[in-house]
Amino acid sequence: MTALLVGILAPFVAAVVALGLGRRLPRLVAPVGVAGAAVAFLTSWAVVGADLASDLGTRTTTLAHVPTGGLAFDLAFRVDGLSALVSLLVASVALAVQIYSVDYLRGDPRYPSYVAFVSLFTAAMLLVVAADDLLVLLVGWEVMGICSYFLIGHHWELREARDSAVKAFLVTRLGDIGFLFGIFALGLGAGSFRISEVQEAAVNGQLTTGTATLATLLLLAGVVGKSAQFPLHVWLPDAMAGPTPVSALIHAATMVAAGVFLVARLLSVFQAAPATLAILAVIAAITMVGSALAALAEEDVKRVLAWSTVSQLAYMLAGLAAGGYTAGVLLLLAHGAFKALLFLCAGAVIHAVGSNLMSAMGGLRRALPVTFVTMTIGLAALAALPPLSGFFAKDAVLGAIQEAALHGGPLPVGAAWVALLAGFGTVALTAAYSTRLWLRVFFGPRTVPVPDEPAHLAPGHPGPGHAGAGHAGAGLAEAPALMRWPLIVLAVPSALLGFVAFAPGAWASWLGGGGPAVASAPELIHVGTTVGSVLLALVSSGLVVWTWRRHDARDPAVLLGRARPFLQQGFRIDDLIAAYVVRPVWVLARAVVAGDRDVVDFYVHGSGRAAHWLGGTLRRVQTGNVQTYLTLLLAGVVLLAVAALGVIA
Amino acid sequence: MPLLFPLVVSALLFAIGVYGVLARRNAILVLMGVELMLNAVNLNLLAFDAWHRDTLHSGQILALFTITIAAAEIGLGLAIVLLLFRTRRQINLDAVRELADREDTDREDAEVRR
Repeated sequence: MTALLVGILAPFVAAVVALGLGRRLPRLVAPVGVAGAAVAFLTSWAVVGADLASDLGTRTTTLAHVPTGGLAFDLAFRVDGLSALVSLLVASVALAVQIYSVDYLRGDPRYPSYVAFVSLFTAAMLLVVAADDLLVLLVGWEVMGICSYFLIGHHWELREARDSAVKAFLVTRLGDIGFLFGIFALGLGAGSFRISEVQEAAVNGQLTTGTATLATLLLLAGVVGKSAQFPLHVWLPDAMAGPTPVSALIHAATMVAAGVFLVARLLSVFQAAPATLAILAVIAAITMVGSALAALAEEDVKRVLAWSTVSQLAYMLAGLAAGGYTAGVLLLLAHGAFKALLFLCAGAVIHAVGSNLMSAMGGLRRALPVTFVTMTIGLAALAALPPLSGFFAKDAVLGAIQEAALHGGPLPVGAAWVALLAGFGTVALTAAYSTRLWLRVFFGPRTVPVPDEPAHLAPGHPGPGHAGAGHAGAGLAEAPALMRWPLIVLAVPSALLGFVAFAPGAWASWLGGGGPAVASAPELIHVGTTVGSVLLALVSSGLVVWTWRRHDARDPAVLLGRARPFLQQGFRIDDLIAAYVVRPVWVLARAVVAGDRDVVDFYVHGSGRAAHWLGGTLRRVQTGNVQTYLTLLLAGVVLLAVAALGVIA
Repeated sequence: MPLLFPLVVSALLFAIGVYGVLARRNAILVLMGVELMLNAVNLNLLAFDAWHRDTLHSGQILALFTITIAAAEIGLGLAIVLLLFRTRRQINLDAVRELADREDTDREDAEVRR
């Protein structure tokens, strides 16, 4: 328990120190940031070690009790298998990203604040993971949001970065409104904000279906916003305007997974509300297919990965909705590892090439051998090829959904079938876009970008384009050591984590208490879905390879035909939002401005003018002649006297 | 003696005083008007004191107070008039209008402030 609290405090202290030292001792900032993440990493290993050695159960501790007059809340923390494993993921990715950023952002004037925000983010995410009170969780949740905002806007001199930051902030905040009220509804319904007590209430059936449905629907709004699910997914692809390591940490491995984590944490409550589960499964189904299609059409490497993150998060949510608690969490961890790896690899490629666009890449496998091998592992894991982690995790999820579709459960069968079909479709699409990315970056003709020609620089997709231009000119070079090692280290769990699927019992016991009331069977390997999905993946990547060969090693996205521009713009949902949300808001804003200027201001200015006029009239009396004043005074006294006489009489 | 006579005299004195204060231009005459009004009040006080046959003679005592205060007041008043004369070489009240609220004084003030 203490270890976990130290793990939360260390990055927080690192953030404060990095901000404080930033200007005076810039050379100390990198060690401080890495040390904060390293302490968190070691402490989370200590917790996980204890968990692996023997079942942790659920240990809670209360640091303070806050009476509010209404429902009190506690500064409470908990350790169980889920929080141990997720905090290990967070701390390891944070450590890898801190080390990687030392070289990636070398010479960046805003590096100190970057380190501070990444550290603060790490602390906030660990707080979310370790919270045993919904309001404590909310604090971490919101701090993560603000860190995400600042880090997306890291290159704030670029308009695109500023816009993306504001967009991410607004969209996630829209969901967070629901989240806040969901917490209130859940707290009032269960009579406590303590997560352990809420879980108990849900398992014992103390929550009515109505309360549970209301609360979970509101919470779902926050989850959909944070985890970038349809229809609030629009911010995540744009968030790629931030530096690539940030995308790896926040927008791939951890923060966007916080929504999934929350659903896993409160799965027992969600299962008390079948309607919410059905909505969740359908949202996930729409999201996973749609974003996979968008990924297939996208040209920017980072945006491909962003769409793929959206799609994989939808997988996890669908798995959780189907009751696949262990499966969903396994995919959460495996995805965290391999997606962080993929982003860091993409960062290395972008660092070398100086552009985000795949058209500027190609034939890089000789120039960047380490990146090639690690990214191949990551992409194969993403495409769910055996025996990598993504394969086992995804099949565990598909198996859980299949079980829910065939045998029923808390999730309505219809929704489960929708999710299952979408899941199989997404397997094929995922394999297709992974293969396309792999082929276009590492194979084919070598396009050496000319640094002087700005056309290949994606306008407004900053990345280290400016810093990297020099590298491109000097010839392609493998990333520096501090960027290389995190890739190699992250490739290990990406490759091997899946093997826990052979020990489903042990995995379930590691995840420990606090799980859902109705869990699907702990088996993580399902032969039927495995064979089906591997076949699908192989066929679709074979199709991509075949198209690629037939079209002279150009873009296999020609498969999409005329739908491509539509998909590339993310189904033009941004346009829809612009037409049906942004424009009405503008109209409303103009109306408010006009009302303020022409109606409210009329009275404000009118009162001012009236007072001025009255004053101008009265000042004429002030002649400066004392005798006039006295005369007026006497007249007043006489008037008063007459009036008084009248009253007395 | 009926009460009416002193009251009429005092009212006349007061009216003359009011006229002096409100209408005369000479500052000294204005002060004299003030004195006339005070003495009209004194006369009133004495008359009512006698009429009431007050054993404590509070009217007379109050009149003595008034005389004292009037002496102090006329001292102050004459000092002010002297100052006025020293600075302006005249004591015409119509010419002393610095307290007037005029546009041009606003402008002068603004310029001084600048």
